[in-house]
Amino acid sequence: MRSSPSEPAGAAVAERPRARGAAVKSEAVAGFDDVTYEEKRKLFEEVRSDLRFPDYLYGCYECGICVAVCPSARFYDFSPRRIAQAAARQDVELIYQQMQEDIWECSQCFSCLRCPRGNNPGGIVTIMREVAVNHGLASAKEALEGYSRIIYKIMSTGTQVSPDMLQPDAFPDWGPEVADVSNQLALWRRALPPETLHTTSTGWDVSDRTLIELYLIWLETGALDMIRDVDEGLHMILEEVMEERLEEEGIER
Amino acid sequence: MTIANQAAPAVAVVGGGPAGLAAARTAADLGSPVVLIERLGFLGGMPIIENYAAITPHLEPAEVAMGRMITAVESHPLVEVVLDTEVTSCEGEAGAFTLTLEGGAGGSRKISAGAVVVATGFQHFDPGRETQMYGYYEFPDVIALQDLEAMLKDHHVVRPSNGESPARVCFVQCVGSRDRQIGNEYCSKVCCGIASKEAMEVRQMLPDCEVFIFYIDMRMYGYWENQIYWPAQEQYHVQYVKGVISEVLPKGDRLLVRGEDTTMGRPMEVLMDLVVLSVGMEPSPGTRKMASVLGIEQNKYGFVEAVQPPLDTVSTSRVGVFAAGAALGPADLEDSVSTGAAAASRAVALLRSPVGA
Repeated sequence: MRSSPSEPAGAAVAERPRARGAAVKSEAVAGFDDVTYEEKRKLFEEVRSDLRFPDYLYGCYECGICVAVCPSARFYDFSPRRIAQAAARQDVELIYQQMQEDIWECSQCFSCLRCPRGNNPGGIVTIMREVAVNHGLASAKEALEGYSRIIYKIMSTGTQVSPDMLQPDAFPDWGPEVADVSNQLALWRRALPPETLHTTSTGWDVSDRTLIELYLIWLETGALDMIRDVDEGLHMILEEVMEERLEEEGIER
Repeated sequence: MTIANQAAPAVAVVGGGPAGLAAARTAADLGSPVVLIERLGFLGGMPIIENYAAITPHLEPAEVAMGRMITAVESHPLVEVVLDTEVTSCEGEAGAFTLTLEGGAGGSRKISAGAVVVATGFQHFDPGRETQMYGYYEFPDVIALQDLEAMLKDHHVVRPSNGESPARVCFVQCVGSRDRQIGNEYCSKVCCGIASKEAMEVRQMLPDCEVFIFYIDMRMYGYWENQIYWPAQEQYHVQYVKGVISEVLPKGDRLLVRGEDTTMGRPMEVLMDLVVLSVGMEPSPGTRKMASVLGIEQNKYGFVEAVQPPLDTVSTSRVGVFAAGAALGPADLEDSVSTGAAAASRAVALLRSPVGA
């Protein structure tokens, strides 16, 4: 965490929570076991060879306008400028460190598109995240751990948060009213005008055709395979759900 | 005097700013009759129109420096100055152009000219445009370089909102320049020097006022380095912070500027009393219009294209038509008067040389 935003002149340099950058030798990167330089190089090449990469990074003025508009930079030790600079400098070590740490602090709001050079640091983060997930990086597993329920919901139903997930014990910060709502959930839902929202176990009514198409997309694009690397148990459950349903429809893969 | 009917073909100079004045004087000094056509009712161009206080870097008052050029042109026996007038068409070819002039006392009339020099200049980028989030039209204490020039000229630098002296002033560099999203990808060349010069003048006038410059790169090439940049830091203690401001917000009766202090690696929010936007250059409406009237090529930004770069700075795509000053792109005063003189020499040479210039 960084200290609160401060004045440019006369203030002391903020202490960093831990050493950063390629110059620092360390057994562990961001608390995870280190890997060989070749492995890091391979990950970087995968990021750089992504089709989107040339449109996301032209060159960096290091002007910091992306940091100035970045909500995450105000609360975390995160800097879209460092993402763009590390990518521009092809700093393999630093990019690996960012993939194990920084990229999960980005909220993907894309305020950084304000860049005068037309860069998209948030987009670079998107690519780095995808590569991190594809390779089952420890940080990706850790970042996604808390989301296994959400991933299950999205991939099995196509809706993200279902009303029945809103239990008072799960979200204590939502206050005492949540208990009343969850007691009479079906009734509350029926009070919503669109009939497609009269659901409790999914966010809205999902048609059979949508679900089948969705499952096929997860399977054909390799999205389901990505889950295997980060959460094997979850992958097994999802695979079972999908294949069973597709079998019922008489779709063979 | 009226010289349009004399035997020698005249050089028509369009635009009465620094480049046009230099062109008119040079052509006349070489013995060629000159018609200097100015859209406004006075000569001097942007330094006079926008009330520039002192000329960078030597700090001579703009009115004095430009006054010298204006007097030299107005009193020259070979120059006819035509004010309040625009060129609306140009027919013929090099050595025998016919220009239609409109406006002024004479209404519409035609003149002959052997060659034309376009010196129609630039306009300041409008900082209220598009992606700009600086509140130029929203907050009275957000101003642009030329607005501060006018205050410096009056020796009265205040916050427009309340008339009080500012305790903290900042400049925001590269407003409307070097920006792919706005479409002005070029550097406007002079804003770093002008901002630093104004920063020193503010410190001179208000010694207790803190002055900051938020920048991407400081570009004070050549002698501007030690004429402007060093004294601004060493004598006037102007604070240079690498990091561009993303937005300006109201906070009480002051202004909060947000950016990143990139060398320190931290987001920052700083309170200011006066925010000065270092606006860049765009082609003036006159430059765009004259390019179309004369049928000469423009670059993607709308400036006149010099067609034989880099060693011929003034030839356009139409033989006999030359360009000078900020009509060609961002230019400081030295560049403007230099290309003005170069364009005039090339025009006169073309008319005199049996093989053309």
